[in-house]
Amino acid sequence: MYKKTVTILNPSGLHARPGSDFVNLAGKFNSSIKLWKVDRPEKIANAKSIIFVLSLGIKKDTVIEISAEGNDEVQAVDQLVAMIQSGFGEI
Amino acid sequence: MKIIQKGNAVSKGIGIGKAYLYKQYTPRIVESKIDNDLVAQELLNYQKTKFQAETEIQSIQSFLAQKNDEKAKIFQAHLDILNDIAIAEEVEDKVKNDLYTYEYAVHLAYEMFIEMLSEVDDALIKERVADLKDVKNRLLRIASGVAEANLSRLTEPSIVIAQDLYPSDTATLDRTYVQAIVTEIGGVTSHTAIIAKSYEIPAVLGIDQILDEIKHGEFVIVDAISNKIIISPDEVTLNTYLKKQQDFIAKREVTKQYLSQKPVTKDKVKVEVSINIGSANKEELDFEQYVDGVGLFRSEFLYMEETEMPSEEKQFEIYKKALSKFGEKPVILRTLDIGGDKELSYLEMPKEENPFLGNRAIRLCFDHMDLFKTQLRAALRASVFGNLWLMFPMVGSMDDVYNIKKVIEDVKKELELKKQAFNPNFKTGVMIEIPSIIMVADHVAKEVDFASIGTNDLCQYLSAVDRMNPMVSKYYQSYSPSMFRMMKLAIDAFNHEHKPISVCGELGGDLVAAPILLGLGMRKLSMSKTSVPAIKKVIINHEMKQFEAVSKHILTLKTEAEVINYVKSQLNLED
Repeated sequence: MYKKTVTILNPSGLHARPGSDFVNLAGKFNSSIKLWKVDRPEKIANAKSIIFVLSLGIKKDTVIEISAEGNDEVQAVDQLVAMIQSGFGEI
Repeated sequence: MKIIQKGNAVSKGIGIGKAYLYKQYTPRIVESKIDNDLVAQELLNYQKTKFQAETEIQSIQSFLAQKNDEKAKIFQAHLDILNDIAIAEEVEDKVKNDLYTYEYAVHLAYEMFIEMLSEVDDALIKERVADLKDVKNRLLRIASGVAEANLSRLTEPSIVIAQDLYPSDTATLDRTYVQAIVTEIGGVTSHTAIIAKSYEIPAVLGIDQILDEIKHGEFVIVDAISNKIIISPDEVTLNTYLKKQQDFIAKREVTKQYLSQKPVTKDKVKVEVSINIGSANKEELDFEQYVDGVGLFRSEFLYMEETEMPSEEKQFEIYKKALSKFGEKPVILRTLDIGGDKELSYLEMPKEENPFLGNRAIRLCFDHMDLFKTQLRAALRASVFGNLWLMFPMVGSMDDVYNIKKVIEDVKKELELKKQAFNPNFKTGVMIEIPSIIMVADHVAKEVDFASIGTNDLCQYLSAVDRMNPMVSKYYQSYSPSMFRMMKLAIDAFNHEHKPISVCGELGGDLVAAPILLGLGMRKLSMSKTSVPAIKKVIINHEMKQFEAVSKHILTLKTEAEVINYVKSQLNLED
């Protein structure tokens, strides 16, 4: 298992297009990928499901943890974190 | 020929075309099970249905994309939902393990996720619930073999007749063919009304059972000027309406040309025309190019759209956005105005016998000092980005004025202590809506930087008429001579101190009242966006001398009817 913590930087958070981009990227990996807000670790979402990702209500400045398990877990987490840090082209 | 005279004309104009009866599909949910050996077949059917749904959505999407319509992205969200793996797993699980039909499994799974998202404390996410419902309906409709009804595929000029229109219906609405909208439900502030107005589609809403009165394909005229639906008109009627329609469109085009013009009278007196805004969205802010500022930023909308108190940061960002966009032009931010008819779900307000005479607006803010100061901090911090004019609602006495000034001083000190920047040149003003403040307007004008008259409440308090009570609505007379005499006192007091006074209530954008107010010496009007062209037109086509002569005479008149008739007889007020 491999995981990283990252802060959401873009104004609209993981909604709308950024949410959609995030889920589409997660769907490209074989690993099972999960995410949660660090202050609410009991609510875990499947990163490949837009519905679950939306249900976390992740806004700008929220700190989240992304964890993956599988043959491409490192790549998966690193690329998702990089996408968040890029601000989804909103910043 | 049959004429129906009912409903609300929420968007003016005349529409002529064939009736397109638009009935949304309502799924019938039946709990039913399958045999164990049919599971594989059932799952295959689910895949097929999903595939067809995908084809439909993609086709709408490419149709919208061709027209560069931003609404294409709503349908990207629908595709994301349709292909969501968690939903698919849930559906498949309910077929495999519970042996439900895939239709029932779709119903259960979607309802589960709808409930999950409804619980999220975020308005943006709650909006997605509508998308989930849309996708669910699409799947169930396909499953039951019903063809798609879609307002984007009209092939001839049509009158859309529906019970109500959902956001996804209006999103795909083909504006080239929709001549008018008629619905059974919906009022002036409904979603359909807002869309119809912004697209300039004539619309009459709220006619019960209109779907039973008109047959699909029947020829219909919608007169959304005088609330009339004419079914199968005779030739004479049709010709009359074709002419009326042309005249209406021509007149509106002429009026629109006034939007970008400077509001200066023929005798070269400049008037400031500003707009009233609520949420500072793109559409409101884009209007900056046509106006002299924001005459009323109703900050309560930020509070009413939320499920919890908006934080200082959140407010700061929104105020900053509006102030930066308007730059040098003043933005009059009215502090929280709730109570009366406006409530907040998260703020407990005791029930009152007379809420309009009760603890509302500034009075309520004095009682909730935390809430009040949070808003003032957000506003003052945002003041460095533009020209902030802070305005306080429901001020009734000089005591209120002094108390407001004290709170502002406290907030300034607080910010200085925290080393947070603000522009010390922001202006402080009051809303004039309680008659008592007008009786001491000379004192007020010395103490504050500006004032703006809220005509709706002023009329209510001046004439002792509850404006929400239909039983006394005939006593609510906005054009009564008393109103104009009252407002004149306030205008004179502020003009005497050379301080700006404006009007931001309904009367500011009213073709009859605006010229009188200008004649009485007001030089600044604020109104809703849609009134701007017509008001500019009146200003540009008259001399200030004419307005002055009219208002001088108005002050001698006795009744509201006399006022209206006189103004209409003296000025050219066609919109």
